Parts: sequence; C-alpha cells; structure tokens
Amino acid sequence: MGLLSWLIAVPFITMLGVVFTPASRWKAVRWISLIGTGTELALTALLTCRYWIAAGPDTAVTMTAKLTKLYFVERIPWFESLGIQYFIGVDGISVSMIILTSIIIFTGVLASWNVESRTKEFFALLLLLVTGVFGVFVSFDLFLFFMFYELAVLPMYLLIGIWGTGPKEYSAMKLTLMLLVGSAFVLVGLFAMYHVSGLHTFDLQALAQASFSKDFQGWVFPLIFVGFGVLGALYPFHTWSPDGHSSAPTAVSMLHAGVLMKLGGYGALRIGVYLLPEGAKMWGLFFMGLTTINILYGSLGAVMQKDLKYFTAYSSVSHCGFVLFGVATLTVMGLKGAVIQMFSHGIMTGLFFGLIGMVYGRTHTRLIPDMGGLAKVMPWLATSFYIAGLASLGLPGLAGFVAETHVFLGGFFGNPWSNPTISCVLTILATMSIVVTAVYVLRGLAMVFQGPITHPEYELLTDATWPERISTGMLIATLVIVGVMPRYFITLIESSVMPMINRLSGGV
Amino acid sequence: MLMLPEIIVIITAMTVLVADLFLPERLRFGVSCLSLTGLAAAAVAVLMTPMNGSLLGGQFGMDSVAWWFKLFFVISGFFTVVLSMDLLHGRTTFRMRGIGSPGEYYTVLLFTISGMMFLVSARDMVLLYVSLELATIPLFALAAWRREDARSGEAGLKYVIIGALASAFILYGLGLLYGLTGQIGLEAARVTRVSPAFWLAVAMLTAGVGFKLTLVPFHLWAADVFEGAPMPITAFLSVASKGTGLAFMFQLFFRNMGGWLDDGSLLIALFAAVTMTLGNCVAIVQTNIKRFMAFSAISHAGVFIMGFLGPHDYGVPAMLFYLLAYIASTFALFAGIVWYSNETGRETIPDYRGMSRTNPMMALAMMLALFSLAGIPPLSGFVGKFFLFSVAAGAGYHWLVGVAAVNSTIALYNYLRIVRQMYIEPVHEDGPAAPASWSLSIATAVLTVVLVLVGIIPFFYNAINGTTIAWMSGVLPH
Repeated sequence: MGLLSWLIAVPFITMLGVVFTPASRWKAVRWISLIGTGTELALTALLTCRYWIAAGPDTAVTMTAKLTKLYFVERIPWFESLGIQYFIGVDGISVSMIILTSIIIFTGVLASWNVESRTKEFFALLLLLVTGVFGVFVSFDLFLFFMFYELAVLPMYLLIGIWGTGPKEYSAMKLTLMLLVGSAFVLVGLFAMYHVSGLHTFDLQALAQASFSKDFQGWVFPLIFVGFGVLGALYPFHTWSPDGHSSAPTAVSMLHAGVLMKLGGYGALRIGVYLLPEGAKMWGLFFMGLTTINILYGSLGAVMQKDLKYFTAYSSVSHCGFVLFGVATLTVMGLKGAVIQMFSHGIMTGLFFGLIGMVYGRTHTRLIPDMGGLAKVMPWLATSFYIAGLASLGLPGLAGFVAETHVFLGGFFGNPWSNPTISCVLTILATMSIVVTAVYVLRGLAMVFQGPITHPEYELLTDATWPERISTGMLIATLVIVGVMPRYFITLIESSVMPMINRLSGGV
Repeated sequence: MLMLPEIIVIITAMTVLVADLFLPERLRFGVSCLSLTGLAAAAVAVLMTPMNGSLLGGQFGMDSVAWWFKLFFVISGFFTVVLSMDLLHGRTTFRMRGIGSPGEYYTVLLFTISGMMFLVSARDMVLLYVSLELATIPLFALAAWRREDARSGEAGLKYVIIGALASAFILYGLGLLYGLTGQIGLEAARVTRVSPAFWLAVAMLTAGVGFKLTLVPFHLWAADVFEGAPMPITAFLSVASKGTGLAFMFQLFFRNMGGWLDDGSLLIALFAAVTMTLGNCVAIVQTNIKRFMAFSAISHAGVFIMGFLGPHDYGVPAMLFYLLAYIASTFALFAGIVWYSNETGRETIPDYRGMSRTNPMMALAMMLALFSLAGIPPLSGFVGKFFLFSVAAGAGYHWLVGVAAVNSTIALYNYLRIVRQMYIEPVHEDGPAAPASWSLSIATAVLTVVLVLVGIIPFFYNAINGTTIAWMSGVLPH
C-alpha cells in the first residue's frame, strides 16, 4: 500500500477505531480522532516533501505537457470488464488540496472538543466524510472519484440533522438534495464521456487523450460545470449554502465551507476544464458572468446579515465565486488563482467558522447586534477574528491577497477565445466586491468586538482555551505563510495548471 | 441432474405439508427448519448445476442467465422463511391475529419458488405460461394469509383479479405469436415479418409484463397488495416477484423477440422514466411503511428495466448484479421492519423514531440498507445503479440517465425520511421491548455484510458478467 492509499486509509481506520470504542468512553473517542487526524497531518507533510523532491526536476517538462503528470500512482484493476480501476495519484493541485484538508480536519477535531452529545457518532461521521474528501482529491478514475464525492456529501445530512441548530432538518435536507441533484448532472456527463469516447474506461488520463467533438463538449461541459458548481455555490444554485452552514455545528461548518465546497471547484477544474477544453472555451464567458453575480450577490448579501454564521456563509458564497470565476477565466493566472483561492478561502473560512463556534460557545448568541466589546474579555479570539476578516478582504501579506490578485489579473487580461471587453468589464465588476467585503467585515467585527461591553454578563467570559489556541494559531500561521511566501506554493500549483492551459490553446 | 434444484424444492414442499400433519405442536418449529434445509440444499444444487444443457426435448433448458436467476430465487425464498419464522410460530410480542398454519404457508411459498425456477428454464410458451401461473397463484393465497384482517382479504382478491387479467393478456399475446409462426418453442417462434398482429401480440405481452413487474401504468395493484400481505410476504413480493417479472421479460424479449428489442428500446426507456418517477413521487406522501416499500419497489422496477436497453450482453449482467444488490438491501431492510412489526404491530414511518438510540445495530443495518437502495456509495446499490445507468447511456439515452439520477435524489429524500426518524427524532415512548430474535439478527448481519461487500469486491460482478457474456454473445442475435 502506497502513501496515497494510506492517506485514504488513515481516516477510515480511525473511523473504525471510533466505531468500536464503547459510547460511554467518549473522551477516548476524541483522543482517537485527534491522533488519527494528527497522523494524517504528518502523512501530508511527508507527501508534500516527497512530492517536492519528485516533481521539482520535472517542472520544465510539465510546463509544455498536455497531460497532467501524476506522482505516486497506484493502479489496481477493479471492475475490469467495465474499465473501472482503483487509480490514484497526485499532482500539485491535489497536493495543495490535501494539505488544506489535513489542516482543516485536524483543527476541526480540536474545535469539536466539547461535543458531548453522541460524541462517538459525531466523530465517526466526521471521519467518514473526510475519508471521502481525501479520496476525491487523489482519484483519477471517474468511478472512484464519483464514489468518494458522494461519500463526502452524504454524512453531512446526519451531521447537520443531529448536531445542528435552528431549522436543522430543513437545512440538512435542502443541502443534501441540492448537492445530489448537482451530482446527477455530473453523472450524466461522466457516462456521456465514457460511452462517446469509445474507450470504455473511466480512467481520467485515458479520457484526456480521447477526442471529443466540439458539439459534444458544448453540451457536456455545462452539465459538469453546473453539477460541480452546485457544490461550489454557483449562483443561482447557492441557496443551500447559507442555510446549511448556519445550521451546522462548528466543525461541520469548518469542514464544509473549508473543504467540501472546494470539491466543486476542483471537480470543475479537473474534469470540466481538463477533459473538455473546447466546451470550456465556449462557455467560459457565460460562467464568468454567472460567477460575477455570485461574487457581488454574496458580498451584498453578507452586508445585510445579523447572524454571524449567515454573515460568513454569504461571504463564502462570494469567495467561492472567486474560485469558479478563476476557473472560468481559462487563463494561467486565473486557474492558479482559483486553486490558491480554494486553499486560502478554505483556511480562512475554517478559521471564521471555528471562531464563531468558540464565541457562540461563550455568549450563546450569534446575533451581531447582541454582542459588543468582546475584544476586552477575549483578546485572542478577537485578534484571530480580525486576521480572518482582513484575509477575506484581501489584505496583502495574507493568503487571500495572493489568490484574489491572480484571479483578477487572469480575468482582466482575458483569454484569446472570448470577448476581451466583456471579460474585462466583468472583472472590474467583480473587483468592486472587495469594497463591499471591507464594509461588511469591518463593520461586523467592530460591532462584535469594539466599543463598550454591552451586556454585563459578558464581563465574566474567558479567552481561548489551549485546544482553541492551537487550532486558531495553526490556521493563522498557514494564512500568513502562504501570504508572505506564496512563491513555493505557486510553483507547486503552476506546473500542474500548465497542462490544462496547454490543452486549451492546443485545440481538440 | 439439470432439474435437481426444482425437484428438491418440490419435494421439500410436499414433505413440509406432510410433516405438518404429524408433528406435535411443540415440535412444529421443525417445519421451518425443514424448509430452510430444503432451500439451502436447493441453493447448493443450483451451484452444482452446469450452466448449459437441456431436458425434455429442449423444453427445459439451462444457461447462465437462468442459473443466476434460480440462485437468486432460492436465496430470496430462504430469507423469506427466516423472516417468517417468528411470526408463524407465535414467537412475537405482538400477536398478529389470524396468522398461522406454518406448514401450509411454507408449502405454498415453496411452490411459488419452484414456479419461478421453472419459469427461467422454460424454453417453450406452454411451459413458460404454466410456470408463470405456478409462480403467481400461490402468491394470491399468501397475500391473503392474515385471514381475520379485511385488508389482507382485499389484497388477495385484488391480486387475484389483476393477476388473472395479466395472465389473460399474456395468454392472448402468446397465442398470437403461436398463430403467426406455428411454433411453440420460444426461440423457434421468432417472428420474421412485421404485421399488425405481431404488434398486437407485443402490446399484449408488454401489458402482461407490465402488470407482473409493476410498470406504470400497470402498477395500481401493488400498494394495496403490499399493504394487506403479511410483512415477510411483502418482502418476498418486492424482491422475488420483481425477479420473476424480470425473468419473464427476459424470456420473452430476449429469447423470443430478440431482434425487435432495438426497435422497442425507446418504449422501454419511456416506461423506465415514467415508472421510476411516479414510484418515487408517490412514495413521498406515504406514511405506512408497506405502502412506502410498494412504491419504492415500483420505482426500482423502472431502474431494472434499464438493463433491457442497448447492447444485450452489457445490460443483462448489470441487471442481474443489481438484482443481487437489491435482494440483499431489501431483505436487510425488511428484517428490521419485520422485527419492529413483530414487536409492536405498528407499521407507520414515524413509529421508527429514535431507533438509533434504543437499537443502534438494527438502526445502522436499516440505514445502510436504505442508503444502498437509494444508491449511495460505496454500497452495492450504488454500484448496481451505476452499471445500469451506464447501460442506458451506452444505448444513447443520456436523458434517461438524467431522469434516473434525479430520481435517485427523490428516492434519497424518501429514504432519508426513515433515517431521520431513526436518527434525529426523539425516542418513541413505546418502542419495541425485546431485541431481535437470533434468526433475524443473524439474517440482518449477513445481509448487511453482503450489501456492503458486493459493491466493493469485484468478484460478484465479474462472476455474473463472465458467465453471462460468454453465453449471450454466442446465442443472441445482435
């Protein structure tokens, strides 16, 4: 079993460990989960180093290649007669997503340290979900990809339905159904590619070499993009996201906004743009338009919110719009920006939702007008909140800036296949959201943390505990490292984005 | 030797009937054990039967497709007996009135199974029709087994009338085929020239198959019959009678009308789309679990017939594989439902609330079964559906894949209603007192393991695919 198989197996084995621990020993369950996800983090560090060593010398080759170069490939025939295999591997994009997932799940486990009702089931489902997520990021067989994809979506229903707050059953059902309708679109596209290619294989690399006609790509690409776009909160299919996020418990919001929504952008990039470049060219501008609405609508929506979670959820819709916007620009800068934005938004939202959970655990309210002056009693949490907020409005020095600059530059200069004026105008419109973001982030945070303490009982609240400090500290450190030294990170991604660009410019 | 499994089943049926007369009351449980032994022996006999050959001058034939169908029928029978044992011998907390006479019950059940087994081996129209009747007539009696319950009587009567109507259609259709060709052999009676009479025959047979397989608009009997029948028979109906319908459709459409199948594939696709959509949409408003399962079974009929689209050698293994997944999932689910109704006598969906805390293992098994039926990976139901969708896409019906995938979502909504009761709602104040009996527990455990492993371990699909493709590519016209 190779490194990548272990990466999928560790959360799964941890889940089994949790399942077979008696429910009365719920404290042990937490430690098992923490050790499991800690191991995962270590494996990810190992993977990153090994990938660096293995991929570094190949950079020159991959810059001109038309096929993504995969590392640590494992192939085992599975349903041979149907061309299905257990085919896993990584490129730079996968590696960066794996790093993101490992960090978020580790901090997520820390953030759910105080889940005391049905702890065992909670951690088991959380670990099952993350198994699916890791699986998606390493799968290069479409059957396997789809299998992990759905595996990642479904535990969400129970996680929100059981441990959520507010209208949790409604939100859980809405989320699950909308995401599965999205995956229905994807499924139609996958089967169409499987049969029309004539190769009868679900092998992504083999399908990348198939020649699909322009007409075919023209109708399959929107299916794939919209299908994954539902998970990436593409307007107008984003409505599950605010409800789902605000009802979900802390760790689930973190994981969902931080990682799961990235599966949408990842799928659109890996399957949509990579396999169907001609379709992408045809529809690029259309989806740029939709995602521009996404970006503006999300940020304007956030201005109006009174509930901290709805506030963050709408800002997530806006920021996930950047991811899909970047993908739709079809330029080197745009695609790189999309991947960096997936990463930085993942860390940033994880931090946001984690902090909201910590504040809510103290004040027992999430309504912004009910809070005030909290910075005096919880300086650590307030500082972390500000850093997350500044990252989300794209302050230089934090990861969000790097991502947004890339995306905007990509969109502004446009690609050769679509009208440069429209793409330029759309980018300018999208850029305006930064101003709106500044408005809601700064105003919201000021109302929560600044000024005099509004409620006398808030005087007694305490600052972050050690598990909370570790988790917020890790996330902030990641934001800063990527923000200050983006070069390594960009190199990691660039060599994997280039094949997609080469395919786009190379014709069918 | 070729007919050994059928002979074993019939001998068991006779033996059970006679033993029932002579066994004293306290040893009456023996008839259950006898039936189980008989069915297990029949399963072994099927496994040992060669996958080709014929008897009785070619009237009775064996091939790999028939082999798999027989195996599935025997397995379904086996689990139906396991599910019925507690109920028939009064080993339940809730005493259902009017149920009893285990010996006769098993005899009738075993005859049904033997009819199904003959059906797939029939190679001429007379044996096909007679074995179809042998498979369905005992089911009328089983549906009406709860003698003192008016709903059960209604179920039996409705089933008889609709069943007779369906038989009439089928008989008329077969008669027309005979008239057109002068042959009674299924493959010999292949029509080579299109005429209005042929299309009439096709319409008759389609309607007949539609009734057996609960295709919309021939599905109207299903909900009432499912609701009235005793719970284990509801399980049997949703699995074995679906299998019988598929086997019958296979016999007619592949063996007899093979060449015309491509022309009719649009019709099959429409039937599939309408059937699964209506089944799923009507299931949304059901509260009685039996009626719910009836509509779930209807929607699955729509999924199954997708296997008749497109290239033949590709669809049949996918259909058989999904049948296996469906059997394991449905019986695993019904084991829980039977247990619950045995203990409390209640059968509405909100009754299952809070089950995950009072009976976590049973709730887990039921949840896995429900997810498998909804097609959630990595369970076998997902893999089976994936293959069937792939068949539809291969035949060029991309829209049907879309309809089917959206339907999976509606189905998931339906199944999540039960999961929600079990996992999210507060505990039922008057839940079942006793844990599941050992027989139900073992059956649930085995079926749950099967429904998980069948999707992951490629052995099962490869076995079905390997044996059927080799045979079909040699025999059937393309």
